[in-house]
Parts: sequence; C-alpha cells; structure tokens
Amino acid sequence: MGSTPDYYADVQLLRGRGSWVKLAILLVVLVTLPLVFPGYRIFTFNYMAIFVIVGLGMNILVGDTGQVSLGHAGFMAIGAYTTVLMMTELGAPFPLALPVGGLVTALFGFLLGLPALRLQGPYLAIVTLGFGLAVTQIIGHSAFFGGHMGLVVPAATLGPISLSGDIAQYYVIVGSALVLALCARNLSVTRVGRAFRAIRDSEIAAATMGVDVAYYKTLSFALSAAFAGIAGGLLALMTGFISPGVFTFLLSLMFLAMVVFGGLGSIPGAVLGSIVMGYLNLEMDAFEELPLLGPALESFSSRFMSSAGLPNVGWVVTGSLIVLTILVEPKGLHGLWIRLGAIVSGRSAGSSGPPADPSGPPAGVS
Amino acid sequence: MAFFAVEGLTMRFGGLTALDDVSFEVERATIFSVIGPNGSGKSTTFNCINGIHRPTAGSVHFEGERISGLRPHHIARRGIARTFQNIELFGNESTIDNLMLGRHLHMTTGVWGGVTMVNGRTRAARDEGENRERVQHILELLDLDSVRERPVRELPYGTQKRVELARALAMEPKLLLVDEPSAGMNAQERTELGERLGRLRTDLDLTILLIEHQLQLAMGLADRVLVLNFGKAIAQGTPEEVRRHPEVIKAYLGDE
Amino acid sequence: MLAQVLAGGLSAGSIYALVALALVITYKTTEVPNFAQGEMAMVSAFVAYVLMTDFQTGFFVAFTVAIVFAFVLGYGFEAVILRRVRNPTHLSLLVVTLGFQLALFGLAGWKWGAEQRQFPFPVSANEVLRMGDVSFSTLGVATIGISSVLMVAVFAFFRFTKLGVAMQATQQDSMAARINGVPTRRVVGLTFGISSVIGAVAALLTAPLITLDTTLMWDPLLKGFAAAVLGGLNTPVGAVLGGYLLGLIENLFGAYISVEFKSAVAFLVIVLVLWFRPSGLFARHYKRKV
Repeated sequence: MGSTPDYYADVQLLRGRGSWVKLAILLVVLVTLPLVFPGYRIFTFNYMAIFVIVGLGMNILVGDTGQVSLGHAGFMAIGAYTTVLMMTELGAPFPLALPVGGLVTALFGFLLGLPALRLQGPYLAIVTLGFGLAVTQIIGHSAFFGGHMGLVVPAATLGPISLSGDIAQYYVIVGSALVLALCARNLSVTRVGRAFRAIRDSEIAAATMGVDVAYYKTLSFALSAAFAGIAGGLLALMTGFISPGVFTFLLSLMFLAMVVFGGLGSIPGAVLGSIVMGYLNLEMDAFEELPLLGPALESFSSRFMSSAGLPNVGWVVTGSLIVLTILVEPKGLHGLWIRLGAIVSGRSAGSSGPPADPSGPPAGVS
Repeated sequence: MAFFAVEGLTMRFGGLTALDDVSFEVERATIFSVIGPNGSGKSTTFNCINGIHRPTAGSVHFEGERISGLRPHHIARRGIARTFQNIELFGNESTIDNLMLGRHLHMTTGVWGGVTMVNGRTRAARDEGENRERVQHILELLDLDSVRERPVRELPYGTQKRVELARALAMEPKLLLVDEPSAGMNAQERTELGERLGRLRTDLDLTILLIEHQLQLAMGLADRVLVLNFGKAIAQGTPEEVRRHPEVIKAYLGDE
Repeated sequence: MLAQVLAGGLSAGSIYALVALALVITYKTTEVPNFAQGEMAMVSAFVAYVLMTDFQTGFFVAFTVAIVFAFVLGYGFEAVILRRVRNPTHLSLLVVTLGFQLALFGLAGWKWGAEQRQFPFPVSANEVLRMGDVSFSTLGVATIGISSVLMVAVFAFFRFTKLGVAMQATQQDSMAARINGVPTRRVVGLTFGISSVIGAVAALLTAPLITLDTTLMWDPLLKGFAAAVLGGLNTPVGAVLGGYLLGLIENLFGAYISVEFKSAVAFLVIVLVLWFRPSGLFARHYKRKV
C-alpha cells in the first residue's frame, strides 16, 4: 500500500523537475514582458488577461458544470460598478474594492443560479440573456450609476504604489489572472470540481452519489460570476472609465464563444481561447493596420463593402471561428492540441484524448 | 424493526400506475432480489427508494427512519447507494474520478480548501490522497486498475458496468441497490458477477437489493425474492417458495 | 386612449408573435433556439431595401425577392451548416446559431455600415386611421393584419397540407417519421426556410417603424424569444399567444407606469412566469426516463 503523498501526486500541479522548469520559464516571460514592450502593447496584454479571467469563470460554469450563460457581461458590469462605487462613495482603496466587487457579483451569480435550477437549456440561455440586458438597462437609466454617461474611475493605489501606469496595472492584472488560474485549476481537480463535472455528465447519478445538485449549481454560477466581477473591476482600473455601453450582449457572446473555441472543460483551452478572442475584440477597430492583410482588407472593403464598416470584420471572424470550431473540431483548441499530440507521437487520435463533449480533466502545467 | 422496509409503495405517472401497493422487508447482510418481466416496475421501485421519484403513496423506511420523500442526495447520505440499468456514469471522467465522486460524501474539501491546495501538506491534499488510497483497493477488487485513468465512455460495456458498481461501493454504503448488473454479460461474466456480489455480502457485511432479469443469477444469489408483475407484488419468499408459486409461473410463461 | 394603447400593444405583439412563431417551429425540430434568425431577417430586410433604393424596384417586387432570399438563407443555413455539426449537443447547436448570427451581423455591418436608413413602405409610420375620436396608426393596423394572415396561413399549412403534416411528424418523432417515409432531412431544411420567411416578414414590418440598421431585429428578437419562452417553447399557439400577451403587457406598462423601464418588464415577466411554470404558460412537460 503506498503512502499518502503517492496519491496526492494525482492532483499535484508540479510533478517532476520538468514542470518546475516550465513554470519558471513562464514566470520569467510574464514578468519581463512589460519591460520589453511599449505602452499600448501592455494595454493589449492587460486586456487579454482580463478576458482570461472571465474565460476561467465561464469554463467553470459552462465547461465543467454544463450550464449556459449569455449574460456574463452583466456580471462584469456588476463587478466594475461595485468596485468603482466603493472607491468613489466609500473611499475604499482599490485592493479592498476589488475583492468586494467580486463578492457582490458572486451574490448576484448565486441569485441568478436560483432560477437556473428549474430551467432547462434554452430557457436558461434566454433568462441569462435577459439578465445581462436588464443589468445594463438598469445601470443606464439610473443616475446613481452615472446613467449612460458612465463613471470615471478614480486613481487607484496599492498601498504606496500608484496603479495609474500601464506597467503597474499589468502586474496587478496579470498577477491576478495567474492566481485565479491556479485557483480554478485546484478547484477543478478536487471535490468541488468533480461535483461540477458530475452534474454536467449525469445529474441523476450525481444526486444519487450524494451531490447536492442545487447547491453546486448555484455555487457554480456564483463562482463564475465572481471571476467576471473581478475581471470587471480590473477592467475599470485599466480603462479609467466605465459605462453600460461596454457590457453588451455581444460581449457576453464573446465570452461564451471563447470557451467553446478554447475547448470546454479545459483550463489551458479556456486561457488560450480567451487570449485569442480578447485580442480580436480589442483590435477590431484597427484591422487596417495589420501588415499585408490590412491594406488588402481596406481595398476590398471600399470596392465591395463599405469602408466605414471595416471594424465589423472582427465579428465576421469571431462568428466564423465559432462556427468552424463546432463543425471541424468541437473540442476546440484543446481538441486540436490533443490531435496534434497524437499525430506527433504516432498514436491514432481517436482513442484517448478529450471527451465527445467538454474535454477531460486538466493536466498539470503542460 | 426491519433494517429496510417498503410499505404500500404506489407510484402513478399521470394515468399510468407503475407500482401498486408493493410491500417487502429486507434484513441486514442479506441479498434480496426483485424480479419480474419487463415493465413490471422494478426500476421504478429503485427510483422511489433512492429518491428520484416521490412515491404517490406508501413509505420506505431504512434503519427505522422514513426516507421516502427525501431527495436523492439525502438518501445517499443515509448510506444507500445504487447502480443504474442504463449506465449513468460520468462519461467524460476517468474511472478513478468516477470512483472519487463516489467518495463525495466522505470528503470534506470545499471551495476554499480546494482553491488553497498549494502543497501536499494541506488538508485538501490529504483528503485527496487518503480517499484515493481507499478507492484503490476497490479498483483492484473489481479489476479496474488497468483502466484507472481512461475516460469511462471509452470503456467496453461490461467494464462500464463494473465501474458503476465500483463507484457505488466507493460510497461505503450500508445498502446497495444493483439494477440489472448482468445486462450484456455472457455466462462466464455472470458467474463471476454472482460470486462477486456474494463476496460483497460476506466480506463487507453489505445488504444488497438486486434487480435482475436473469432468473438463474437472481435465484442462485438471493436469500429472499420479490416478484413483480404489472406493478404488483405477486409473490415473495425464498427462491424455492417463489419458484413454485403458480402466479410466478404464469407471469413468466412466454417470457424468455 | 386605452384603445390606442391596446392597439399599439397588439401591433407590437404581432411582431413578437411572428418572431416567437419562427423560433418555435425550428425549436420543435432541433430543440435549439435559432439565435441566427434575427440577423437572417435583418439581412432580408436590407435586401428589400437595396432593391428599392438602388434598383428602383417597386415594393412588392422587393418584398417577394426578400422573402425568397430569406427562405434560401434559412434552408441554406440548416443544410450547409447546422446539419454538418458532428456532435449535435444542445450547447454546440446553440453556439453554432450564435456564431452564424455574429458572422451575419458582421457582414451586414461591413457591407452597409451603421447609418440608419428610412425604409420605404406603402404605408407610412405617420399615417393614422380615425375611428370616432380615436386614431390608430395605419402601419400598426397593417402590421396586425398582415401578421395575422401570415400566421393563419402557417397554421393552415401545418394542419392541412401534406408537407405541413410531414413537418409536424418530424418535429414530434423524427425516427418514426423517417421510418414512415418522410424525407426528414429536407423537411428540417424546409422548416428553417419557413421560419426564416416568417422572421423576414417581421423584419419588413418592423423596419418602417424604427429605422433600418443592422441592429433592427435585436429588440424584436429578444422580445420574441421572451414571448416564446413565456408561452412555451414547444407550442406554436402558445408562442403566438405569448407574443400578443407580451406586447399588451409591455405597452400597458409603458403607458401607465413607466416608459423608461418598458423593456425591462419583458425580462421581469419572463422570470416570474418561469419561476412558477418552468416550461412556459401553455407548454406540455416531458420527463426523461431513468
């Protein structure tokens, strides 16, 4: 009989020296990135990191628990507005306002999770969609929240350190993303994560095995909302200004799309998918500036389409990516990765690998 | 006071009466078999016992306490486990993760614990490790160690059935409901299954409720048998008593 | 005054009912709400617009071409994309419709930009009909009329034509239908085509009311979905009733309580109804056997 540490190895994140090396490289890269790139690029990284945080939350809800949400932009808004209002109305420092924003959002997530208990797929989708819209409508019509004009985010500090610069914000945002990724990963390989996935795979069996399905479903909503809420607070920090017009249905759609694109149920997939779609979402207005492709798109646009409409290409690309993902590789990027690995090692791709639906349990640092 | 008692169990779905006033008792550490033709209400009985359906009338008592009307996860907490006729495994998960889900009630790690599992010395890590160790011997007992890491939906049907049984055993139940475990098995596998179930009763002091279509297996294994037909209990007793019962013979004439 | 509010409610409700109907007939076949139908309808409306403005065709020609276009678009979407989904789970099908919606929205925006255009229609949005001292919007009346005729035609089609009955059979049990010789694949494609046509009519009736731009169908789509959910996603009649109900509730709320939160009412009503009847007001319930 082995001793306990042997069995812990199953869920251990860093197994063997190789993992430590990979982790070290990752950390070095992340830490030095902002020192190498110019300011606007750092803004891009920050933006992608924020998307990653939302993606991690969406993965918990959609990938692991098998629910659906078309309203996560609403949670992001709640987190953003709570954080900002805590700073402006209560004078709270940012390091306090942010987690509180997350908690408040978690509460709303829990509340939305309650009707979710009784609703099946499409009904749930529409209710979450309605929720997202209702949030922005209420914010937009309310003077307390700044209405359609929005709110300016006050200067933030982390103790003595000012968080007004891109680089300082980078360390906070990317650092948060890293910590949250670790939390998500740990959660997924332990009891709670297993309960989530059990609910996804067979609710009846899960209940039969003693899983309190109602509790875990609402918990899943609460957690994924919290992630989105924290991302919202960080977005406020980054952009210095929030308004309801940011948190649109299209954004919620992006959030769903990116975890599907990355591969449902896979944390590395969610991270990668979020990075790609975050980049797309941000760069949409600047397609003409792409090397080679930009001018080609520009001339094509003015000839057959409208020049002014070029930013819409981003939606075309995103939408097409989504459709292609489902048609070609339903397991998303993670599925592609597995297939690639199988080809490289000569095995047939069909046998082991990600599941037919959302993908299997995440590995360690890979 | 009986270890497990079903009294006047009635289950109606709209106009259809699936179970009609069914009563029986099961003693501890025995194997009790429920048999009957297709559609006679056997699985419905199980569904009522483990909380998936709320019985229209009647009651179920376990260790002296009423469990009918409770929800499945509360009934699981009382120590009742079950397998399903149509496999209800967590298909995308590995064998070991399916079994570990069976340990859900015995583990304590919550959100905070899970999230803060930073090294092998945390409580969550010990929770994981200890339970994996416990589950290991079930894996070996049911010959599943070789497929420990494989996603169960890839496994052959017979193996999946073993995983379902293993998962239920991982709960360390006091009462185990097994629903048609021999479906899809050949004669040799069935014999092994019978031996296995018998050993579970003696080694683990387990009480087993068995739904079984295969008469030979059910009769050979059971201490007592209940025969259902069209939702009604038509005979109850030892295998010998039931075998000779005229109603039972009539019900099974023309069946297999 | 009340008559006008009710008329307005019926008129808005007609649009919602059309969208809801379009949603339900495809939902019954695939068990997935077709989120792309809004943008398909919007694009069809733009087709009509382009024909009327750039090519100077009359309204009825443009209308007809738009309808045909909508049908082809709907059928094509199902046949070329939806049918090809390899592992058709509810989530993956839902996501495909979302993706297609996004791509269509992007294409429309790319081609036609964000400017708002006046949609030429035989009946102006400003004309009124007078009955006594109450005046009704002519467009509103026309909307109620046209949509009613269309819905009756659709129901008659399902009930009395061979094809319609085949479609119903496919919706209820595609395996049984196939065994009985129904060309289920084609039938599903046709279902999407018809749904797209209904949606296009809704768009063509909405466009003159608010100006035409790429976000034309966002609000009607949401409301139509809400109405379908309210009525019950697996009953066409329920969905239509839900549409009228929603239109009336919304307009009454807007007239007598608050205009600002008129739209939020839709969401609130939905949540309330679903809390007590999780499958909608008029739906039937199905349970999975274990």
